[in-house]
Amino acid sequence: MQELLGRLTALDPDASAALRVIACFDELIVGHVNTRGLLGAAAALAGCTAGFRQSRPARLVRITPRGMPATDHWDPPDLPDRDFSVWLERVGPSQANDAIITERLEFAVRIRHSAGRRDLDSRRDLAVTLDPAAELDDRRACAARIGLTPGRTYRVLAAPLFATWHEHPKATEDVVTTSFGPIHALVVPQGAPPPDARPCGVGTTAVVDDLHRSFRSALVALRLCDSAAPVVRADDYGALIGLLADSPDSANSPDVDLLDGVMAHAWGMVTLDALLRAGSVRQAARSCGVHHSTMTARVGTIADVIGFDPLDGLGRTRLGLAFLMWRLRHSTVLELPVHAARRAAGGG
Amino acid sequence: MPARPRFDAELRAGLAVIGGIFPPTVTADLVPFMRRSYASLPIEQILAGRSITVTDATIPGYRGDPIGVSVLRPTSAAGPRPGVLYLHSGGLMFGDRYSGVDLVLDWIAQFGAVLVTVEYRLAPEFGDPYPREDCYAALSWMASRAADLGIRPDRMIAAGGSSGGGLAAGLALAARDRGGPTLIGQVLDYPMLDDRGRTPSTDQFDGVGVWDRVSNETGWAALLGEARGGPDVSAYAAPARATDLGGLPPAYIDVGAAEIFRDEAIAYAGGIWAAGGDADLHVWAGAFHGCDIFAPHTAVAREMIRTRDAWVERLLAD
Repeated sequence: MQELLGRLTALDPDASAALRVIACFDELIVGHVNTRGLLGAAAALAGCTAGFRQSRPARLVRITPRGMPATDHWDPPDLPDRDFSVWLERVGPSQANDAIITERLEFAVRIRHSAGRRDLDSRRDLAVTLDPAAELDDRRACAARIGLTPGRTYRVLAAPLFATWHEHPKATEDVVTTSFGPIHALVVPQGAPPPDARPCGVGTTAVVDDLHRSFRSALVALRLCDSAAPVVRADDYGALIGLLADSPDSANSPDVDLLDGVMAHAWGMVTLDALLRAGSVRQAARSCGVHHSTMTARVGTIADVIGFDPLDGLGRTRLGLAFLMWRLRHSTVLELPVHAARRAAGGG
Repeated sequence: MPARPRFDAELRAGLAVIGGIFPPTVTADLVPFMRRSYASLPIEQILAGRSITVTDATIPGYRGDPIGVSVLRPTSAAGPRPGVLYLHSGGLMFGDRYSGVDLVLDWIAQFGAVLVTVEYRLAPEFGDPYPREDCYAALSWMASRAADLGIRPDRMIAAGGSSGGGLAAGLALAARDRGGPTLIGQVLDYPMLDDRGRTPSTDQFDGVGVWDRVSNETGWAALLGEARGGPDVSAYAAPARATDLGGLPPAYIDVGAAEIFRDEAIAYAGGIWAAGGDADLHVWAGAFHGCDIFAPHTAVAREMIRTRDAWVERLLAD
């Protein structure tokens, strides 16, 4: 995979190989991969043997980039007052990602050997800052370590690791593991210009103590992104964002299930979107570029499928919420890393 | 989203890097990008530290057009050696004769085989039958020049991964039907066999892993154009369509449980058995398409490579 990292950088210098290294180890940690597997990944990423040594019980493991035990000789480092040590057996000058690979390897090995002890939970500071389940004191301490100031207002941006950044903002950033997979999270000042990235979710404003809420809203916004709207602001959805964040995709929701029947029509998505944004059927017809009578017929079809009048007061709200939940349930924004490839293809 | 088998954890980690080189969904507009991203390293770099000698040759391909082949042999080889015809991967649209070749170098260095790898012409510029007939021409050349090449004509196999696996299967069918050179084995790694895309596994992988449903449609459309999925596709192009799988050389078929080719690979092995033939079928849990190429350091890929090599050793080694 070292070759892959090299290719990646050659194809797209902005692709941030370091972020991919981080994401790689996050998956290894989440997947409970053992020491040999962790060393194999580090070695494959670095292109040289990776080693591990612990004192009690005495154990030495060295794995090559091919995932095999190394048979050549190497003097392992001493272990002065440390439980264990990991290293890359680089001959010659160290390379761009050696430091991050070694750091992530050490972190992953520590977790693997920690047997779930809380005192060894050494998640990175931004992940703790954004975790609503973490203690407030811990969140504050972590936020302070990464330079976030109490009393200042920020927004959290959420993007997939493969997002395309035309301009990378100055931000406190890291990869954070979420139930949707690894997410690139960035904390920017409230007044920062909108991100020039696609796709990207922009969270609501928050002070340090509430950054986890901003992150949650940014995740919902990100999952509402599509090719037509590569950047979505949580602010635009107001209180709905909290509601959406609280309802898992698997939630039992008949209204959302019924929308499958509407979306099965080629016109389903654009028509619902137009109806929810427009003030009237006539206006929705105009924005869809169809005749008023066509739109009226579609509204009739929708009412038949979902079993209530989509334009009646409460019906409108039900439809709007179901529409957003349906889009989250079917969101593919985190699954299609083709943007970078397309850009590279177009550029050369 | 349909339910689908999970990727193995080590392989999932690998995808975090691989996704930037090989996007899950390859559409026609991505082919220029894929030709750059999937290009192999210089052969000197691939062979560094190994006692393998390379000779290049130009041979007549389909319709007599010149195509390139390379012959890789153990530097210390003496006397006639077993021969391997190697057909590279790349979805029929990209890759070159050295793509994935690092996985078969042990066959040369350890089993003493002479390996011929073919620069078959690629779709969409060259549709069916160019790619396979270029491969067939290379097989004929290898057999007719066996003495010069130091190859034992009674101990030749064809091997390939993905599109190369599909080409190897088509080649074996063609050699059988035309009374061509005798193959004693065919190694079909996660082979691309079926242009119809009707299997459950095809529908399980959209936008994830390596080579999803859409990528496969792109590859077959490049090879077959409008004929893809229709009634007029030959079994040599899409071996899954063969109605007679009897009289074929023993097949080694491996495939990931977490890839679109799972079901067509299983069906092909089933067809060979039904016809009274020999097939070794290995379905690797958690494996995505070509995981041994992209992440050979992982436990799943190592086991996959080791098991395949053991089968080849039985066939080829003295």
